Amino acid sequence: MKLRTSEYFLQEVFHSLKRNNWMTFASVGTVAVSLFVLGVFLILVLNMNRMAGMLESQVQISVYLEEKLEDSDHKKIKSEIENMQGIESVKFVSRDDAKDKLAERLGDQKYLLEALGDKNPLPDAFEVTVHQPELVETAAAAIAQIKGVEEAKYGQDVVEHLFDITRLMRVFGLALMVLLAGATLFIISNTIRLTVFARRKEIAIMKYVGATDWFIRWPFIIEGIVMGCFGGLLAALALRSFYAAMAAKIYSTLAFFPLMPQYPFMNYVTVGIILAGMAIGAGGSAISLKRFLKV
Amino acid sequence: MIHMRNVRKVYDTGVVALDGVNVDIKKGEFVFVVGASGAGKSTFIKMLFREELPTSGELLVNGHDVVNMERSEVPYLRRGLGVIFQDYRLLPDKTVFENVAFAMQVIEAPRRTMQRSVNAVLEVVGLRDKYRSFPSQLSGGEQQRVAIARAIVNSPTIVIADEPTGNLDPETSWDIMDIFHRINQAGTTIVMATHDKHIVDTMQRRVIAIEGGHIVRDEARGVYGYEA
Repeated sequence: MKLRTSEYFLQEVFHSLKRNNWMTFASVGTVAVSLFVLGVFLILVLNMNRMAGMLESQVQISVYLEEKLEDSDHKKIKSEIENMQGIESVKFVSRDDAKDKLAERLGDQKYLLEALGDKNPLPDAFEVTVHQPELVETAAAAIAQIKGVEEAKYGQDVVEHLFDITRLMRVFGLALMVLLAGATLFIISNTIRLTVFARRKEIAIMKYVGATDWFIRWPFIIEGIVMGCFGGLLAALALRSFYAAMAAKIYSTLAFFPLMPQYPFMNYVTVGIILAGMAIGAGGSAISLKRFLKV
Repeated sequence: MIHMRNVRKVYDTGVVALDGVNVDIKKGEFVFVVGASGAGKSTFIKMLFREELPTSGELLVNGHDVVNMERSEVPYLRRGLGVIFQDYRLLPDKTVFENVAFAMQVIEAPRRTMQRSVNAVLEVVGLRDKYRSFPSQLSGGEQQRVAIARAIVNSPTIVIADEPTGNLDPETSWDIMDIFHRINQAGTTIVMATHDKHIVDTMQRRVIAIEGGHIVRDEARGVYGYEA
């Protein structure tokens, strides 16, 4: 593309964005809202996947014991577990230790425990570690059979639920995304249609004097891309503050929650959202040109 | 330059606009296409720059096979043609200079030749001193001269004019014809559809008369031949 030509294209785009200022505003706004919602779902799903991944890779089983067992019972259970295959370590956690640990984890909300007074609702437990994550399920099942064991819990239990939720969010997010993308495409193609209409005389003359189809199309495509780019930029900025606020909120209550670190994660999201905006913009233009610009 | 064999045009509505048309126009000719409204004159003109496609037959313009050409080739066919309409079709928010330069801009002509070429054609049509005016500040005749300047700025080999004097008074029409005459003298082929009996009879050029979709007369130094 010649320099002179790109200059001409940019002028055309600028004029037309100004001429249809309200439609431009509406288009950019719709792109921004759509991409923001899309981004929120993206962030949630990615974080849940990460959490699921971390839980899945855990090799720890929490073995809760029945109440009123003697020390000798504890020893018996411990040795029974240790004799199983694939067990790396077995560590006893008394109910008092467990209460202290919980108090530590609750942090600011320790008062919840204080409400219990001297009572301790927690059971004695073993923390069992296996060699490999794949062994967790069978080991837990076997341990649960041991006499005196109340239950054997492990991360993958939670993982199953988490996957259910993630799947649901993915489906819901996808449906919403398709809907919003449709709305966005519609409004952008409408804006471009207005531009095509406003410039129909010029377009006719361009055709008579031998401008190529692409020469005629480019300004409209660029206009769509510019609108999409601005919409994406707004959405990305909003998402960054959203994620920062969300992270601050979560970390203030759950310090060890495995959130995606903001950087570079949010930089990727920003770039992705802006590119998505540009793609939607170009798509909206293309639809409009196909329908309204008979070149 | 222009070669038509058995050209037939049937519109979607079923109207047969042209049928069995055979015409050859050579380089440097000045041709009037005459006929009553609805005779097929406009269709004839429009096919030359592929605004309309022949339904069947053979049509060559400047060596381009108009019937079988790719869509992407159409702009290059049109770059060899200058098209002028009855209603001028100028861009109201552009000055005279910009309207003419626009034709060069959109075919990505080099910038350095633009100024010179535009000034040269404005000189030809006698509007050099009005280059900063907007179309609304010009008379009908002047607007048509701007349109002519735009049509010839890319040095076409054929100028196609569809009723260029249709909206102008007789005196102004003669100014326009004078410009066409000069352009033709410089070697450009001119094909002009017209209703103006007086112009055709006075200019004594080749006349192709169309009636009911057929060419009924094709004379080297013809007259209008109808009562207008």
